[in-house]
Amino acid sequence: MIVRTGLTGPFPRPEALVAATRDLDRGRASPDAVEEVFARTEAEVVALEDRLGLDTRTGGYLRWMDLFRPFAETWEGFSVGPLTRWFQTNTFYRQPILHAPPGRVPGAIAARLPLPARADPARGGVILPGPYTFAGLLDNRSGEADEALVHRLGRLLSEEGRELAGLGFGAFQFTEPLLVDRPPEGALAEAVVAAYRSIAGAIGPGTALVWTYGADATPVLPLLDRLPVGGVGVDLAETDWESLPAGGERRGLGLGVIDPRTTLVEDPAEVARIVRELAERRRPSAIWLGPGAPLDLLPWEPATRKLHLLAAARQALGDADGGPR
Amino acid sequence: MSRPLFPAQEIGSLMKPRWQILGQHAEPLDESARSEFVRENERTHFASELPGAADALLAGHARELGGEAVRDLGALFALRLLERAGLARVYDGEARRIEMFEYPIRQMRGFQFQGHVRSFDNKYYLKAAVTDEVRLEHPYHLEEFDFVRRHAHGEPKLPITGPYTLADWSYNEFYLARQRGWKGRAVRRAAQRDFVVDLARRAIRPTLAALIEHGCRVIQIDEPAAGTHPDEADLVVEGFNAATDGLDAEFSMHICYSDYRALLPELLEAKRCRQWAWEFANRDRDGRDGYEVLRALADYGDTREVGLGVVDVHRDEVERPATVADRIRRAVGYLGDPARIWVNPDCGLRTRGLDVARRKLEATVAGAALAREDFESGRR
Repeated sequence: MIVRTGLTGPFPRPEALVAATRDLDRGRASPDAVEEVFARTEAEVVALEDRLGLDTRTGGYLRWMDLFRPFAETWEGFSVGPLTRWFQTNTFYRQPILHAPPGRVPGAIAARLPLPARADPARGGVILPGPYTFAGLLDNRSGEADEALVHRLGRLLSEEGRELAGLGFGAFQFTEPLLVDRPPEGALAEAVVAAYRSIAGAIGPGTALVWTYGADATPVLPLLDRLPVGGVGVDLAETDWESLPAGGERRGLGLGVIDPRTTLVEDPAEVARIVRELAERRRPSAIWLGPGAPLDLLPWEPATRKLHLLAAARQALGDADGGPR
Repeated sequence: MSRPLFPAQEIGSLMKPRWQILGQHAEPLDESARSEFVRENERTHFASELPGAADALLAGHARELGGEAVRDLGALFALRLLERAGLARVYDGEARRIEMFEYPIRQMRGFQFQGHVRSFDNKYYLKAAVTDEVRLEHPYHLEEFDFVRRHAHGEPKLPITGPYTLADWSYNEFYLARQRGWKGRAVRRAAQRDFVVDLARRAIRPTLAALIEHGCRVIQIDEPAAGTHPDEADLVVEGFNAATDGLDAEFSMHICYSDYRALLPELLEAKRCRQWAWEFANRDRDGRDGYEVLRALADYGDTREVGLGVVDVHRDEVERPATVADRIRRAVGYLGDPARIWVNPDCGLRTRGLDVARRKLEATVAGAALAREDFESGRR
């Protein structure tokens, strides 16, 4: 069984970075001083990713204020809107407001990727919003219908992916909590499939992973299985995994085995048992293990503690290449 | 006892004046803090009630004065601000509190603080995990309530964070570990229920009982997390009922920025809740009727009082009294009985500067007077 591991969203900021960014906002620290703390922390996250043998290096996406902000701040047609609750959490994002048909600005997102990911793109994990979640969570004042907007964002994200693939990046995750929280139907569902067809055409189908979280993926599985991507990730803390049907052969299966809603560390043996059972049932081409939802729902220390589960579970699964390096 | 229609009440915290913050840090007042103090004192003469403390603060002796005396001054200032604005039910603007999670948790055992989580941008909050059974160290908010009771001219109304919100804002480790098997949704829910009920029974209820023993008659249980997980509305209720079990006081439940319909009808099972104190003004814009949601209460036949949010705490623009009056009239239209309505800001006004907060409170009272005139003169 091929087992891959990696972060699936932003990593929390450590207390030193919390203090530095607070000081920056209060005018008590210079941007240069805070930049130093950011760089130091990114290096720490990469060191942790390496130590645990994770397959991708992300650097933690510590500077991204939310999943959409780099796009809302750099792409044409957007402005940054009001604070809005992020699903069923006590965290918030600034809702992008789309005033006109969106347009991407070449190079803008690449420049916002974490430095460690840019330094070694072959191992760099690119984490982007999925077109359905992006379209569904912005304030659409452009006049464009939902389906057309999903199409258009899919096309723009595929162009983004093409540019990043050209820079050497080979692992792309499209974050789609809305796919399970508010599943699309009818023409909208078809627009989602078409958007991913466009993305897969640009970056190659094997390198794109769609990651869902926050709700049970089981009812949406028929649609998820139709997405022409390398694999689909589900949040095991929310998904009724015992009811996941057989199928999905020759595609990757992402399993969110770390629940960032609790500091309680999962049992590697139990995780390995569930992974084996699902591997037997779904017969995926590969398995990705990662946090079920963004780990920055936890503070730095417990997040670090819980991330060790990925290495422990990999070892428990008997993966020859796994385990801490 | 009958009371005028549409009495006004406080709902939460006020921004702390700069002189209080500097004083608490034992720093001398700078010019702007000093003039703020003098200006506010000219309005309400609050400083004359604690003359020694005020003189020491103004003379730059904050360190000798001590933080508690500065907080007394801050509490008195807020109390008089609310009373002068015309509120019938008042508190101290939460002058002694920093936030609504960390302080209550620090009065309990069984928790370990884990570090900061980003709320948004560069804003963070401290989170704790429950790692052992919840136990109350000692009832809290008693000293602040005693101070308010001694000094208030209006009726004291105490806000306290509810058990569901304390549980939701914590990491559940202890109660989850007691559950067998994979910690999926159903298991987490069962563990969360145990946590909420333990918090309610072991920490909140003894605190409420002690407050009542001290003479507290009107208590607002804050459950801002209630709207985060609408499918857990029954846990909100179970926590509320366990916390207030057998206690005799006027309890209300404050929820804000939530889809209230999604919490109904489960919420209506909160047995000892006499008033729903919800936010409405924030959603009353762009041609939308923010009060229409009250129809849901009428549809379910609920006849409790409503603490009606009539001013938005997220905008500096001060509502005109006519706007407030119009909001009250619409609420009466949905609820039927004007005697059920209290008026208040949507939520705590700490998000606004003190001058804006004061004017919003004055608009609340003036708008209520306009609406009252209408109803009492039979124009409605």
